[in-house]
Amino acid sequence: MQISTSPQTSVQVKPMKSMSPWAIARRKFVKNKLAMISLFYLIIVAVVSFLAPYVTTIDITRINIGEMSLKPSSEHWLGTDKSGRDVFTRLLYGGRVSLLVGISCTFFVVVLGTIVGSIAGYFGGKIDNMMMRFTDFILNFPFLVFVIVLGTIFFGKLNGLAVLIIVISALSWGGVARIVRSKILAEKENEYILAAVSIGCSPIKVIGKHLIPNVLSTIIVQSTLLFASMIVAESGLSYLGFGVPSEIPSWGNMLSFAREPDVLQGKPWIWVPPALIITLTILSINFVGEGLKDAFNPRSRR
Amino acid sequence: MLKYTLRRLLGMIPMLFLISIVVFSLAKLMPGDSLSGEIDPNNTDPAYIEEMREKLGYNDPIHEQYFNWITKFVQGDFGKSTRYKIPASDIILEKLPNTIYLGATSLLITYILALIMGIYSGRKPYTIGDNLIAGANYLGLALPSFIAGVFAIYFFSFNLGWFPSNGSVDIQVEDGTFAYYLSRLHHVFLPAVVLGLLSTASYTQFLRNDIIENSRKDFVRTARAKGTPESTIYNKHILRNSIIPLITFLGFDIVNIVGGAIITETIFTYPGIGQLFLNSLSQQDYPVLMALTMMFSFLTLFGNLVADILYGFVDPRIRLD
Repeated sequence: MQISTSPQTSVQVKPMKSMSPWAIARRKFVKNKLAMISLFYLIIVAVVSFLAPYVTTIDITRINIGEMSLKPSSEHWLGTDKSGRDVFTRLLYGGRVSLLVGISCTFFVVVLGTIVGSIAGYFGGKIDNMMMRFTDFILNFPFLVFVIVLGTIFFGKLNGLAVLIIVISALSWGGVARIVRSKILAEKENEYILAAVSIGCSPIKVIGKHLIPNVLSTIIVQSTLLFASMIVAESGLSYLGFGVPSEIPSWGNMLSFAREPDVLQGKPWIWVPPALIITLTILSINFVGEGLKDAFNPRSRR
Repeated sequence: MLKYTLRRLLGMIPMLFLISIVVFSLAKLMPGDSLSGEIDPNNTDPAYIEEMREKLGYNDPIHEQYFNWITKFVQGDFGKSTRYKIPASDIILEKLPNTIYLGATSLLITYILALIMGIYSGRKPYTIGDNLIAGANYLGLALPSFIAGVFAIYFFSFNLGWFPSNGSVDIQVEDGTFAYYLSRLHHVFLPAVVLGLLSTASYTQFLRNDIIENSRKDFVRTARAKGTPESTIYNKHILRNSIIPLITFLGFDIVNIVGGAIITETIFTYPGIGQLFLNSLSQQDYPVLMALTMMFSFLTLFGNLVADILYGFVDPRIRLD
């Protein structure tokens, strides 16, 4: 005997699909007003800066003696600097350079730090010991001192921007490496890693496919905070005169005009805009970073 | 604990050795001729220059030059400044007290402010006062020291005229008088606040969170249940537990001051070793530059070591490795 039930009558019960960790994080992040406002601000600054040649048509390189140190007016929204260049235009072009330096440094630092950290953490033993001693060695350099010295050596031999990015990246990956290593150390003890190894996954595959995705949230949060400190590093070095070459406008270079007492005292429109925009950018990056940290934290309820 | 400290101290030696090699190689790679100071610039006779090179040991193999330099360096002979024609150590020692004074004042201000604000915020969390302090903290964490310095000079020196904008002391004041010390304090206050801004913000935040966390612990509940006054609970029971982790930051403070001094001293044209470093770099005064770079590296290494040892002191589990 056969009992047949028509497929139409069976009630299909879909199992309640729980949200993935990424979806939960995204929902938490979108609900975080401060982080969202900061994100919008950052996107606007980035878009306007990278579209600078379309936003404004004023030539930034030409020195205009007739329009030196003009106050803000309808023609020059933020006035002109000591060489008669429009401050607003330079702010846009400067944003391009500053953000570019910040993004590329962050990218290199995160990639380098993740590679070193994950290899050291996964293999452990001698390799770990050697790599971490080297990381300690790098971390023990006073950052600013060596960036300035290295920058001076390579300056003029290579493209100034590239030198800055390479030097900053080469000296700051240690922190990321340490954090990634400690996360990997904890993560590799899980059974799924043992399973992956036992079915014959190569170490590269285990690290790339199984370990990194599981520590990615930490890496993302770290890279956000790193992005802020890279922008600080760029503008600080440029302020001191050891960063972006002075002929290229960057926020730090614009701020370095404030080193002249008469500009600092009497012509605030030259240095206040870059100072404010740097502070606001860093503030929003920090808020976004905090938001991400909160969103990825399974214990936080929002 | 003593064994751990000694082991860590011994571990510093190979690190310092490696750093000295790096510093030496960097100095060799520097642009310009590091001989310019020692050789009479008016005498362009190639034979004379060759003779001087030979005498000064610049023709020796590179490793011999390194060992010459490092042996002298360890004995405290940093070489002669190519610019000022006096021993590099004299120049550094002349500026060093200013930087130590700046750093110490900055640390003092940082800890006083962080303690006051942190304790207040931790005791009354989620009130208006706490939110104000939290807002100021966010700003303090986001404001780079050079921007804070520029704004501080603009407002407090130029517009309000409360503090001088440069130098370490008034020229007219006589050395050693009360007015002299007052003038020095007056000059150092603004740079010191700017230098300590970041640490102040992060320590305040740390202390606040730690106090709030501790105030939920069982020993506090017990103390409350026994009728201990609220002020005693906060000032004795909680504060003692929350301040201990704070002292581990002392090591990082040393590291921060090394980097911060360069920026802060440049903004305020404060005659310390940070400014000396940048000056000797632009004037290609290599002996001074090498000595300073070694000193900064040593301080950073030392600061990290102090931090690690203090960690071990506070948390005995760390010592085991």
